[in-house]
Amino acid sequence: MKLKLTWLLTLFMAFVMQFSFAQEKTVTGTVTTADDGLPLPGASVIVKNTSRGQQTDFDGKYSIQVNQGDVLVISYVGMQSTEVTVGASNTYDVALTFDNTLDEVVVVGYGTTTKKAFAGTATVVKAEDIETKNFSNVSQSLAGEAAGVTVINTSGQPGTTSTVRIRGFGSINGNRAPLYVIDGVPFSGSLNSINPADIKSTTILKDATATAIYGSRGANGVVLITTKGGSSSESYVELDLRTGINSQLIPRYDVISSPEESIGFVWEGLLGRGRATGVADPVAFANANLFTDSAVPVGYNMWNVADGGELIDPLTRSVRSGVTRRYTPQRYQDVAFNAAFRTEANLRMGGGNADSRYFVSFGFLDDKGYALNTGYKRYTTRINVNSNVKEWLTLGANLGYAYSQSQNNGQTVGSENVFEFADKMQPFFPVYLRDDNYQLVADPIFGGNQLDYGSASVGAGSPNPTITTRARPNANLLNPIGTALFDDVGTDRHELNGSFSGKVKITDKLAFETTFGAQYSNSITKSVSNPFYGTGRNDEGNINQNNTERLTTNFLQLLRYRNDFGDHSLEALVAHEGNKFESNFVSTFKTKVVNPEIDELNQYILQPQPTGGGRSARTLESYFGQINYDFNDTYYLTVSGRRDGSSKFARDKYETFYSIGAAWIISNENFMSDSFINFLKLKASYGTTGDEAGVAFYTGVDSFTIGAPDPDGGFVFTDNPAANPILTWETAVQYQAGIEFSLGTWLDGSVDYFIKDTENLFFTRQNPPSTGVATLTINEGVLRNNGLEFDFTGHIINKGDFKLDLSVNGALIDNEIQEMYISPQTGEQTVLDTRNSPYGYSVGSSIFDFYIREWAGVDPADGAPMWYEYYDDQNANGVLDTGEELNVGLTDYLATTTNDPNIQRTITKTYANATEKYVGKSSIPDVSGAFRLSAKYKNWNLSTQFTYQIGGYALDNQYGELMSDRFGAAGNNYHSDIRARWQQPGDITNVPALTDNAIVNGTSLSTRFLTKTDFLALNNILIGYTVPSKFLDKTGLDLINLYVSGDNLMLTSAREGFNPRTSESGATGRRLYAPLSTFTLGLKLKF
Amino acid sequence: MKKNVIKLMFSGLLLTFLGCSDEFINELPESGFQNVDQFGEIAESNPEILTGFISGVYANMYLTGTGGTGGHDDFGHKAYDLFADFITSDVALSVSTYGWYRASITELQCTEDFTFTDNYQVWRHYYRIIRSANLLIATLGGDEADPDNDSNRGTLGQALAMRAHSYWYLTQYMANDYDPAAEILPLYRTASPIGVGKSTTAEIFELIESDLNRAIVLLEDFNRSNKSQVNKEVAQGILAYVIASTRDVSRMPEVVALCNSVIANSGASVMTAAEVTAGFNTVTSPGWIWGFDIQNETGLRLISWWGQMDAFSYSYAWAGDAKSIDQNLYDAIPANDARKAQFFTGTGYYNLMPLFKFYDSSRIIGGPSGNVVSDYVYMRIAEMHILKAEAMAKMGQDGPARTALAQVLSQRLPDTSYLNGLSGTALLDEIHLQTRIEFWGEGKTYFSIKRNQRSTGARGSNHLSLVGQTIAHDEERFTFEIPDLEIQSNVLINTQN
Repeated sequence: MKLKLTWLLTLFMAFVMQFSFAQEKTVTGTVTTADDGLPLPGASVIVKNTSRGQQTDFDGKYSIQVNQGDVLVISYVGMQSTEVTVGASNTYDVALTFDNTLDEVVVVGYGTTTKKAFAGTATVVKAEDIETKNFSNVSQSLAGEAAGVTVINTSGQPGTTSTVRIRGFGSINGNRAPLYVIDGVPFSGSLNSINPADIKSTTILKDATATAIYGSRGANGVVLITTKGGSSSESYVELDLRTGINSQLIPRYDVISSPEESIGFVWEGLLGRGRATGVADPVAFANANLFTDSAVPVGYNMWNVADGGELIDPLTRSVRSGVTRRYTPQRYQDVAFNAAFRTEANLRMGGGNADSRYFVSFGFLDDKGYALNTGYKRYTTRINVNSNVKEWLTLGANLGYAYSQSQNNGQTVGSENVFEFADKMQPFFPVYLRDDNYQLVADPIFGGNQLDYGSASVGAGSPNPTITTRARPNANLLNPIGTALFDDVGTDRHELNGSFSGKVKITDKLAFETTFGAQYSNSITKSVSNPFYGTGRNDEGNINQNNTERLTTNFLQLLRYRNDFGDHSLEALVAHEGNKFESNFVSTFKTKVVNPEIDELNQYILQPQPTGGGRSARTLESYFGQINYDFNDTYYLTVSGRRDGSSKFARDKYETFYSIGAAWIISNENFMSDSFINFLKLKASYGTTGDEAGVAFYTGVDSFTIGAPDPDGGFVFTDNPAANPILTWETAVQYQAGIEFSLGTWLDGSVDYFIKDTENLFFTRQNPPSTGVATLTINEGVLRNNGLEFDFTGHIINKGDFKLDLSVNGALIDNEIQEMYISPQTGEQTVLDTRNSPYGYSVGSSIFDFYIREWAGVDPADGAPMWYEYYDDQNANGVLDTGEELNVGLTDYLATTTNDPNIQRTITKTYANATEKYVGKSSIPDVSGAFRLSAKYKNWNLSTQFTYQIGGYALDNQYGELMSDRFGAAGNNYHSDIRARWQQPGDITNVPALTDNAIVNGTSLSTRFLTKTDFLALNNILIGYTVPSKFLDKTGLDLINLYVSGDNLMLTSAREGFNPRTSESGATGRRLYAPLSTFTLGLKLKF
Repeated sequence: MKKNVIKLMFSGLLLTFLGCSDEFINELPESGFQNVDQFGEIAESNPEILTGFISGVYANMYLTGTGGTGGHDDFGHKAYDLFADFITSDVALSVSTYGWYRASITELQCTEDFTFTDNYQVWRHYYRIIRSANLLIATLGGDEADPDNDSNRGTLGQALAMRAHSYWYLTQYMANDYDPAAEILPLYRTASPIGVGKSTTAEIFELIESDLNRAIVLLEDFNRSNKSQVNKEVAQGILAYVIASTRDVSRMPEVVALCNSVIANSGASVMTAAEVTAGFNTVTSPGWIWGFDIQNETGLRLISWWGQMDAFSYSYAWAGDAKSIDQNLYDAIPANDARKAQFFTGTGYYNLMPLFKFYDSSRIIGGPSGNVVSDYVYMRIAEMHILKAEAMAKMGQDGPARTALAQVLSQRLPDTSYLNGLSGTALLDEIHLQTRIEFWGEGKTYFSIKRNQRSTGARGSNHLSLVGQTIAHDEERFTFEIPDLEIQSNVLINTQN
């Protein structure tokens, strides 16, 4: 130690000695990168042909004594050197440009590095790839941009934030979402408050070396977002204008649209019921029952016929020729869905000088959805300033504000939903009410015609007491068109996010940095139902209002040391960080409105439920450090450690995380100097990261819910059996090895292999429900995600004016439960947990392996559905004998039987007897990824991005519902595949007979609707033209760029309407607002 | 040097924020729930806090989601009364728009398939109450404690009665038949997260009876403040049902004695003819001995028993899921019976719906406003009269049996003299029929079918499925299954009952 100090001191003296031979004058300046105007620390400034020189400091500054006429050579690894001849001036600022992409600065955890030097895996998503996409936030834009990053677009509602998954599914019951960090501050706000137009770069950190510095919250990857800054080299104004159209280009399910065809199926369902239940004359039964409340109420008979017999020809089972309509009903999707406009404008201004830089932006977005009265409107502003107040003190402030209004009409969770009606309402049920003479009924309140609310529209106590009552057998009382038009659901939100940083340069080598970050939001969500029609009518109007206030504060203090010793360079940091999240809410429900035009609580005079409110908070405290070492720009080593505590855990609040990573640039070695491989890096890392986001705020203490008062006004406390005082951090242990390379000038690529074992899993243990504790969250079990990620970019053509690149990325990810939780009864691992049906959890399965009954087709004799029943054929006679039934699922049986099992299967027509088992299929695809083709010719540019996925399965539940006669003969509309139904003995088909559900369970959970999730999607396309600068000379403009772009334009999947990208498992759910397709025309100006 | 001092001071200033206090990573709930420590602190200053815990046990009877699902058929104790009524076929699902109950319950699929969640709901609900009661019993010193304090005696008595009540419901819903030797249910006398194997019917009944007998003693001096609480008479009423369900004729005198005690001491009177068509919506009815007074603050809306059954509430009964009386049962009610008027007749959707038995007092179709304020009935004094009649008929005392039955029927029929012509089996048949009619939609008939080893009536034409079928009391499809989640997670239980 002492020796080292002496050595350092000697080095220091050498510098001092040198400076003492001072020359005529002192020249100062700042070295920046031309790209972004940020200061470049560590650049060398040398007086040409001498050995005199120095390195720039943390702020890119230098100060050197020279003679007039001397030439300064300014250089930095990976950047083009620049020479400056010293003249009369005393200040020379220099901007360096990059040699190639390997030396681009990459923002990583608590610092920056270069792509070349980084030992971990960090994918930088370029601003231009985000800007070409038309989304309100960055999450959707990440689709396809990085290998192993899955973006799930859960809704087309404008302003939706997508679900992002990095490297598989990192937890079973805990959190799988990455941590977002904005300008160095962990982010708990809404991504919508960050205008994508303000984002300079987005970095996705994947392996332990990259994420361990975020210890507590890095387990599922980290997305670092850096907002734009000013520039010391130029002042600029940029204006982006976009206008476009949102529509639904990806088709919905192919449902029956003809009322005649549809009523034929209803009739056939009744016929089937008659047959299945042994009615003497099934045709007469169907004829008599067609126009009744149990099928189609008389009021909905839209044909000029008196009964089923006059309408349907029993031989063809379809509407007789010559039958005419009394009216033609409109279809819900025609009224509900219309292309809508999208408008966006962004103004950005930046500038500054060597000491101070600023960036100011204003953004406006009006994004309307294709569904009635859905949209998202947002105003954003941002100001980022950065100043070197003193030579030793730098201050920065980034402040963004967003105000947004989201309108989410017609999307009630339940039947009252435009998407449910669009797919599932039979075409003979009209949107608009018809009176007893089949005429439209004028609406005295809103104008136009009254909507059809089934029995709520007509009869006693309704708006039309004289019209005969009719209970529509599908979603009676509801009409989502009315909800979308006359009711209102929306959120107004103010959100501020800021970071304020200071940096004190204590010595040339040591700096103290601090950042205080805060994210504040205040949102008011209102759901208002009108007093005239629909669900609010009985309340005479109602309003539900939720006010939520959230504040996250994050305070970081960090000491950074940086030094070079010959070929060795070292950077080290130690830091402390505290983070607090608080949320407050008040919610109120009131009824009976005075003026329905005004959506304010005071317009409502009754309060049937008391107002609720509360506060919850979570704090995190962390201590961490990191050492980055490199030798000769060839060998890199990174070590980091972090200790985190969370308020969520009762006893074991703290956990320590660490990582080590190394990289070796083989191409720097002499033996590679003549190779066609210009760049080759090997890297490996190992580390641990944690997660606490996956559990509730107060996990460790038994608690009681405060209930509504008892009849005497007394207290009511019900116990919450959920506490686990020993619950602590979930930990991910990750190993990675990877290579990065460039072959000649034509191919860049990287391949990573990783194993990530999540241990101490947040596992929701299925407890015997008889104990009264159904589930308990524990830290047990091990889940492994391992996989291979690749990313290649081929520079196919690069000749003069023409440039063509093709990049392909993909990930092959496996997921396996390696250890289950321990059963407290046996002390051994639990065999099977099916609480997350259709998936079964057991050792060796993935978290998305189907454990369900197997579909065995349709019996040609009677059209009944069939399944497989497994049995233990102990007497080996090939027949299921009494006593050979399993009675439980196959996995359970094999685990508990004392027999030497001889498992065989047979066919059963009783669903309950069919056997649940692993069916050998999983929702996790073999490979998924994207490819991008980008071309440049003269002033034209083209970019297209496709995403793909191969090798997984999902339950297409919505298709299942459209193939179901579950809710009565007229209970829901059918998919066109119903045409293939069984009709008479001998029919070979996979679609059971229509029987008005007299033969049950045809669509119950089984492999019947298990569908391949393979897809290819055209995610984005952009064609742009930049006006040549020679035309701009006299305009005062620096840039004019025009473009057209399209998002989400095409999808090929197993079935129209089946979009496996809308949920994590690929399974389809009810009331999907299918993602928007957007066409945009854009103009970008810079002056 | 001076500059360095400034720099260090500046850094030091910022570093002072570093010293976070130990409090920083401790957070406690401040919203709608409280942890045990927080309760401990406030209980010292407010003794009323302690009464909140027994109220919490009762709350499970009316809160939604106690069956562990988010279903609109998961609304506490009355949810299972309705399940049972559908299974007896006396309540018919005659129009099904939204699908609740349709496949699982009214087609009796769940009772034959342990993967259906309705099985789980029943199991989860009653075992949840058992755990709540066990927690409270433990804090009062355990189930053999003998507290000095009157208030604690009352609370312990209520908790024991609630535990017994839940175990008894489980024996009925989960065991195909009454077989003392059969292993049927796991038994927990203390709250524990570790599952146990099945105990025999005899063991379960032993606990139920000892709990109730102990409760009756402990509740001797307990004056309840509202009808949601179990008092001595309610505990006796439960015990009467329990003993009756053993079918042991030698014990029928005990049933009679218990019924007599309730009738004599409850202060209740049989609902009059006018009352039985007055809506069944208020716990103040003199005929109710146990029920819950639902208020605005209770916050029940669509997801409630009224939200399923009553067309005059904001309900499925209004929206398209019609629950009506079985056509055959309706036809069996004499025309001059006051209870015939409980049901609407006419063509269309509302035919045979109980529009005049169960209704919100506003009588506005679809309900006047979202909140349910109509009350829940758990037990009526009429049950004691008819149960007493049944017990006496089984003892061969037909005369007193007829008298007991007439206590109720005299309020329903202008003339009950026809009863004098009934004896033996015919009398028992009549008592069962009167149980079905009197308590239609109140969840009582299921137990009568079981304890009297009967079958359901043949399903009337207004059912959507299984029309014409009868179901015997011990058929597999008449009784719920042990849910798959229990079988999977409890290694000591691998078989159905």
